Amino acid sequence: MENVIEVLNLTKKYKDLIAVDNLSFNVKKGEILGLLGPNGSGKTTTINCLLSLLNYDQGLIKIFGQEMKPTSYDIKAKIGVIFQEVAVFEELTVYENIDYFCGLYIKDKETRKKYVQDALDLVGIKEFSKFYPKQLSGGLLRRLNIACGIAHKPKLIFLDEPTVAVDPQSRSNILEGIKKLRDEGATIVYTTHYMEEVEILCDQIIILDNGKIIAEGTSDKLKELTDIEEKITVEIAKINPNLIKEIKQFTNVLEVKENTNMLTITYKKGKNNLEELIDYLKKNKINYNKIFSERPTLNDVFLELTGKELRD
Amino acid sequence: MFYHNFKYSLKTLFKSKDLLFWTFIFPLILGTFFKLAFSNIEKSETFDVINIAIVDSSNYQDNKIYQEVFETLSDKNNENQVFNLKVTDLKQANSLLEEKEIIGYLEFLDDDIKITVKENGIDETILRYVVSEIQSRQALIETLVKEEIKQDSFSIDYEKIYSKIDALMNEEVTLQDISKNNLSYTMIEYYTLIAMAALYGGIIALTIMNAKLPNMQAVGKRTAVAPIKKGELIVSSLLASYLIQLMGLVILFIYTILVLKVDYGTHFILVIVLALVGSLAGLTTGVGVATLLKTNENAKIGILIALTMLECFLSGMMGITMKYIIDKNIPLLNLINPANMITDGLYSLYYYDTFNRFYFNIFSLLIYSLVIIGLSVIKLRRQKYDKL
Repeated sequence: MENVIEVLNLTKKYKDLIAVDNLSFNVKKGEILGLLGPNGSGKTTTINCLLSLLNYDQGLIKIFGQEMKPTSYDIKAKIGVIFQEVAVFEELTVYENIDYFCGLYIKDKETRKKYVQDALDLVGIKEFSKFYPKQLSGGLLRRLNIACGIAHKPKLIFLDEPTVAVDPQSRSNILEGIKKLRDEGATIVYTTHYMEEVEILCDQIIILDNGKIIAEGTSDKLKELTDIEEKITVEIAKINPNLIKEIKQFTNVLEVKENTNMLTITYKKGKNNLEELIDYLKKNKINYNKIFSERPTLNDVFLELTGKELRD
Repeated sequence: MFYHNFKYSLKTLFKSKDLLFWTFIFPLILGTFFKLAFSNIEKSETFDVINIAIVDSSNYQDNKIYQEVFETLSDKNNENQVFNLKVTDLKQANSLLEEKEIIGYLEFLDDDIKITVKENGIDETILRYVVSEIQSRQALIETLVKEEIKQDSFSIDYEKIYSKIDALMNEEVTLQDISKNNLSYTMIEYYTLIAMAALYGGIIALTIMNAKLPNMQAVGKRTAVAPIKKGELIVSSLLASYLIQLMGLVILFIYTILVLKVDYGTHFILVIVLALVGSLAGLTTGVGVATLLKTNENAKIGILIALTMLECFLSGMMGITMKYIIDKNIPLLNLINPANMITDGLYSLYYYDTFNRFYFNIFSLLIYSLVIIGLSVIKLRRQKYDKL
């Protein structure tokens, strides 16, 4: 499949600080690429370089097969961007804001009218079209921000942390909208520090730390990088210190953590860990309320690769 | 795209309450304040003939031009009498000045004319202007004669020289406007108000420009990634700003004429022309501050306001003496100061019958605007940022 984005040896420095360090990656047509990393890892800087907003010290950026420059209007016409900050005019209504930004791409009035309606539908803010931004909640404002960036139906969309500080309903609405955009054939670059979003949405993931790629691949492939096979959490009314000691003796157990009346047991490779634990609890007549098993998360991968949490 | 951005820029500006206040309401409030504050002063204010002295000397007696001008301006039978002249010796002149019998005196030295005044005020400024005007006329005549002689040293066309001198001398620079009827402090304040309102265009331009610059506002980032040329975006936005600015001026003129009963006199059309060009210069100052300075949005607004205030101060808006001091000591500063170009243009309509100085100021404002716009376009073209 053809590459929509090609980045080769991209380096961006702020004086002595290397914000993006020799980054190389490609994004294929129709793919959702997740750029995952903690704050300050270089996600937004990378996007700003790709959009030709920022100067960079080294590297080559090609979008739709052509080198990206500030005057690449043909390329820009196919791109939609949702910035981390809400970028709307306070003096314009929801409808006017979308119409204004859409109008920078689409000349025909009738087409634009339809596109604005589609964008309102996609993010679910049709009933607020006559509202002014200051009358909207944080979540609705984020949805408006997205509508302004995608109303012109771009082929390539950059979403820079679009769900920061939004309520669960808006977040789910936004994620649904992004899935729809992918289904309509858009290629998407999605930056976030929420690993669950990346796992749900992205075909390919790049994990960044200090401007460097520390891992890349699909979600499953990245999880193979960790020694952890699964995590089992069990709720026990009274946790006996001996119980923890004995569980630690199980064959595949890496670590046991106690948090009030919850025990989290981390297993390295191995099968039937849950069965083994349930058998033990029954045999020792230990009552438990809840018990569940989880696969390792991208946070575990990040933790293992960098020694720190994604949200640090 | 051009119309689309123009239309939405207008909408955005029209809905910005702060801008509307400063553009439409504040000048009206200030105009009303002037009316209330100065109209009573105006009624009791009459123009008194200015008492001056000239130190008698052979230099003065030999200088027929000065003698003639000062005699005419001091003629009691002249309805436009400006001065009450005493020709006396230096000691007497100093004594008269000390006793405040005169506001100043002139001494004709070998190669210069020394003006001695005790205070700085409107009367002293008029005296300086008269001397300065005669000096410039005299210089013009001397140059004319020299050039004629240089062109053909064998056959000097005396008739041509005389006719040119005659034309120059007859060109009325008689300061007829500084008469009892026209010397109005309130009028100067209204001119000041027009200049200030014109320069407020800078704030509108700065506001609209910040929304187009990715390093200033998030919406600027969004417009920067759109497939629209910066020139088109900026020109259409500025056109909207200019229109708003002009509407503000129209409202100001209508209000001052119909409500405050201000009489802009015979040169009203030229006052409007100067206001239009002045607004353009104000607008471009805002563009220049927005594009050429590397600092944050609030700092830019602060700098623009401070710059406008400084320009106004140096151009004599808060006292005409400052304008004279700058004109005399740092003339270049006033030549590049748009506020001075506006006030000087308005004063020139007020003080002179010829329009040379007025047109000079109009062209200076246009050149100033072109230079700032040119520099801004160069700065913005193909620009990428080091930091956002």
